[in-house]
Amino acid sequence: MIVLCNVSKTFGATPAVFDFSLKIESGSFFVLVGPSGCGKSTVLRMINAMIVPDKGEIEVHNQNIRTIDPEKLRRGIGYVIQSAGLFPHWTAADNILAVPHLLKWSPSQCAARLDALVALLSIDRALLARYPRQLSGGQQQRIGVARALAADPDIVLMDEPFAALDPVSRAALQDEIAAIHARTAKTIVFVTHDMDEALRLATGLAVMNNGRLIQTGTPAAILLAPADDFVRGFVGGEDLPLRLLDLVPVRKLMKRGNAAVAATIAAGASLKEALNLMLARRSSSLCVVDENGARLGVIHLADIIARRDAL
Amino acid sequence: MPNLHNRVLLTLSCLGFAAIFSCGFLNHAQNRLANGFAYSVFQGPAYEASAAMAGLCGLAIASFVWNEGHRAFATILAAGLILWGSIAGAGHFAAILMQAGPPAARVSLGPAFWILASVSLLAIVDAVQRGNFGLFVRISLGAVLCAGLIGMTAAGDFDHLALVREFSNIRSIFLTELWRHLGLVGAAVIAALIIGVPLTVLVLRKKAAAGFVFASLGIVQTIPSIALFGVLIAPMTRLSEAMPFLRALGINGTGPAPAILALTLYALLPLVRSFHTGLSEVALEVKDAAAAIGFDARQMFIEVELPLALPALLSGLRVVTIQAIGLASVAALIGAGGLGTFIFQGIGQYALDLVLIGAFPIILLALIANFFFETLLGLARRRL
Repeated sequence: MIVLCNVSKTFGATPAVFDFSLKIESGSFFVLVGPSGCGKSTVLRMINAMIVPDKGEIEVHNQNIRTIDPEKLRRGIGYVIQSAGLFPHWTAADNILAVPHLLKWSPSQCAARLDALVALLSIDRALLARYPRQLSGGQQQRIGVARALAADPDIVLMDEPFAALDPVSRAALQDEIAAIHARTAKTIVFVTHDMDEALRLATGLAVMNNGRLIQTGTPAAILLAPADDFVRGFVGGEDLPLRLLDLVPVRKLMKRGNAAVAATIAAGASLKEALNLMLARRSSSLCVVDENGARLGVIHLADIIARRDAL
Repeated sequence: MPNLHNRVLLTLSCLGFAAIFSCGFLNHAQNRLANGFAYSVFQGPAYEASAAMAGLCGLAIASFVWNEGHRAFATILAAGLILWGSIAGAGHFAAILMQAGPPAARVSLGPAFWILASVSLLAIVDAVQRGNFGLFVRISLGAVLCAGLIGMTAAGDFDHLALVREFSNIRSIFLTELWRHLGLVGAAVIAALIIGVPLTVLVLRKKAAAGFVFASLGIVQTIPSIALFGVLIAPMTRLSEAMPFLRALGINGTGPAPAILALTLYALLPLVRSFHTGLSEVALEVKDAAAAIGFDARQMFIEVELPLALPALLSGLRVVTIQAIGLASVAALIGAGGLGTFIFQGIGQYALDLVLIGAFPIILLALIANFFFETLLGLARRRL
């Protein structure tokens, strides 16, 4: 668990973060969103003591981080930045094993961990002997994520990690980090200004503006009841109703019965995907099936339009 | 009409021909001070003169050769002919001239010789650089040239040239002065490192100090070298008089101590500047990432900053070393010895060949230092 309590930080004359309090539960995928310069990166960097707050206290695993040696704290927290920040004079494998190297793991431990990470992030083994300049942006960031996970930390901080990548690499890495989170129950704190990315990954969301916390909650709660016009504008504005559909699985609005249509959709797919398929098939209902293709029920357009009760 | 593929070679060839026809090859004087009489290449031994001429023609032809590899080969062959023709020719010609003259007579090398020798060496350098030859080929070529020169010298081919006669006069002290020169350079570079590294750290840590440090070092750099050597005499003398233990250590107003001090002062600005640039140009995001995953300050410096700044550090060290090799020649003026001794003796005695005996090894040392640091740089850059 990470707790920030009335934290403030000023750089020169400009306040970056003001009276900021937040509780991040263990095992959550917590996303900090907000426009550029709103202080979200500052909040992230205060968690691993890269920035020391002027006022307020921060606790990680119930321990005030002021009482922990910063290097020791950081070795226990994974960290990924936008540009990957790999060491140009080390091979990909050496980069991945940077923290185990600092923790003085034995060569056999390192080799075993490297194998596990290569499998976890589906890294091509041929890349391991290369230097960062010989890798594409997507490959570099994959190595960057592996480096953050190398010592198996409970907490991983990610500062706009996929912002500079092409859409294909970005989507692939988003899927992978979501899968890793689901499998390992790590706490991930993720900073982004991309609302779609936030909604895709977050189990918890905090919206920031001008160094202040504006609203925090689950993605659905924030989309359904934005605290003010800023949040409404930032989380979707005109697209808000469509975005909400993204958060609800078909299963929730499914009805028993049979439809006289051929088009089928998985129960776990989102309402947005269902609507998309309806538009494509010019059909107002779809058959809902499970992973094995067995029919479970039917979903109607009218129910999607009247979805509110589903959330 | 064939196409011209290498303008440099044709220019060098023309330069060589112009030198042969317009300048003297050897200068024969009755004694050191007398004005001599200039002899042209054509008055010299026929074999060597023809070889040099053939080499010059070869260079001109090589400049039209299309194939890169063939051209490099032809160039090196032609340049070899010119070099052998001029060097062996000079030795042989000098022997002939000295047979007639009195023992005090001097046969010096004239402009045509120097131009021919430079033309051939430049042609070889050009061929090696264009051909992008590996380290092994470069070293072998250099070794062949040196071995040839040493072999001919040992065989007594040059005994009648004034250069060799002057050298045989100072043979006993040449090595001493060479070592002294190297000692001055080594001591100054080490002292500059001892002072420069903490200064670099200071400049990196305290931005406010950077302006002051660079300004003071910049002022030192603007003082003419002879003036700085001279200026140090008075304070160093007073210092050694005030502190007898310094005098016991051999530290005095003249001699090696002020020379090393002056060379160190000159080395500091380029050293600190290049170290500062090299270390501050290590990418911020790399340092940030290193700190964020738990590198402490010492690990950051040793494992991240130092290896990434290494090429810049080595080029700084190269500049400083080569500069010190050249400047150390002035140290002879304040009694510190070194190869400059021969230069200033030569100037004083109007013996230009003696000047060359001092100047040549200095140039050679600078080239060797350059080659040494280039090789290290190549190794350091290979991984970046």
